[in-house]
Amino acid sequence: MSAGAGEHPVAFPPAALPFAPVQFTGRHVVSISDFSRNDLIHVLELAARMESSKSPARLDGKLMATLFFEPSTRTRLSFEAAMHKLGGKVIGFSDAGSTSTKKGESLADTIRMVERYADVIVMRHPRDGAARLASEISTVPVINGGDGGNQHPSQTFLDLYTIAKLFPALLSGERELTIAFAGDLRYGRTVHSLLTALCHFKVRMLLVAPRGLEMPEQYLNAAAKAGLVVQEVPTLQEVVAQADVLYMTRLQEERFPDPLEFDHIKHSYRITAAMLASAPAHLRILHPLPRVNEIAIDVDATPHAHYFAQAGNGIPVRQALLSLVIGTV
Amino acid sequence: MVDRLRPSDPPTSSNPRVRQVEAILHGTVIDHIPGHMTLKVANLLARENDQVSIGMNLRSARMGRKGVVKISGRELDARTLSRLALIAPSASVSIIRDTQVVQKFTVPMPKLFEDIARCANPNCVTNHERWASRMEVVNTDPLTVCCIYCERTFLATELALL
Repeated sequence: MSAGAGEHPVAFPPAALPFAPVQFTGRHVVSISDFSRNDLIHVLELAARMESSKSPARLDGKLMATLFFEPSTRTRLSFEAAMHKLGGKVIGFSDAGSTSTKKGESLADTIRMVERYADVIVMRHPRDGAARLASEISTVPVINGGDGGNQHPSQTFLDLYTIAKLFPALLSGERELTIAFAGDLRYGRTVHSLLTALCHFKVRMLLVAPRGLEMPEQYLNAAAKAGLVVQEVPTLQEVVAQADVLYMTRLQEERFPDPLEFDHIKHSYRITAAMLASAPAHLRILHPLPRVNEIAIDVDATPHAHYFAQAGNGIPVRQALLSLVIGTV
Repeated sequence: MVDRLRPSDPPTSSNPRVRQVEAILHGTVIDHIPGHMTLKVANLLARENDQVSIGMNLRSARMGRKGVVKISGRELDARTLSRLALIAPSASVSIIRDTQVVQKFTVPMPKLFEDIARCANPNCVTNHERWASRMEVVNTDPLTVCCIYCERTFLATELALL
């Protein structure tokens, strides 16, 4: 897996080591809130080892079940690729319509069955909290691949990994990083989880969102409690000049009651190559993907674009998570 | 001796000899209910054949206005107390036997409300699967809970009891 422009091997500062013993075997990965700073760094460190090793620890003979009750491209493919690369095998479905769910089977019953088939379950479900429910039933680890608008922890691990590779200061704390979130901050689960995780590090947050789609208060309160400086700024152009990382999210038309308002807003939350002319050289743009209009195609050719390399980081991070919860490392 | 409310008495609780709601022989008195919650508390506690006395908008030195609900012949179980804690956390409970108060306490606040209220998030899995809701108390004033499934935080006043 190529590292992507501007990325470095993740450096783990002495300050972050030695870790308190971290027990991952059999653990569920449901919500980023369940993980301490040590846990987060432990996963990143293993992901770095996975990425640099030609023969990472193997999961031969292990079986991963992917239960995707909702469509997914990157999450499902990268979990499957990660499992295959480790020598494990994969079963599962990516369309709930072809399962007994359509006949009215409860999620609890589906989990009681699948836990007997597989060593680990990766699940995406449209209902908020579905992964927590599954984890209370399953005797094998459940990894949340997205539960409604709630959590998507493996995305957060890969986002953190990407930022740590780009800016070693995230882990060393040598300087305060400035990280900007832009777009739908109210409903976007990736920004909620990432803000929760960033509360463990030394960062300054800039938030740019249309009225009505601002970051929910509970996350702002948590950030304030953790001592993060969080600033709401009115325009994208303003953050481009200040940020180390600009994390873009997609605006969804259905969130706007008035289509005309959406039409107006979507242009204000779109980043183009021209807007990046005055950006500092080190600014990197991330996006959980899929992007629609919020990042113009002409940004792809700039050195600031980093979203495809970010998606690539999903493989070592998911290799690390699978190995940790199955207990082979 | 059971005190009776006399219409000529001033409607205040400062005079201990004057009861604003008829006394009961045996049962439970829930006092210091926020005025607007009184009927909700009565609905929550009363069973079909219970004898229930309700006092609304009574004067209270502590609260200004308060409600009182008295239920004859029954003491509250733990689940009912949990439900009471969610809708009237400041209420006090007195257990009455032979007209005497044998026990008096403020409503105990649980750390976790289990299967007491419906999560207010319509997309929460607990509203779609046959699965008990569980909500952790994250703040007591105002009472605020967090659903351990969907991780949303709600004021207790936003929740509907199960």
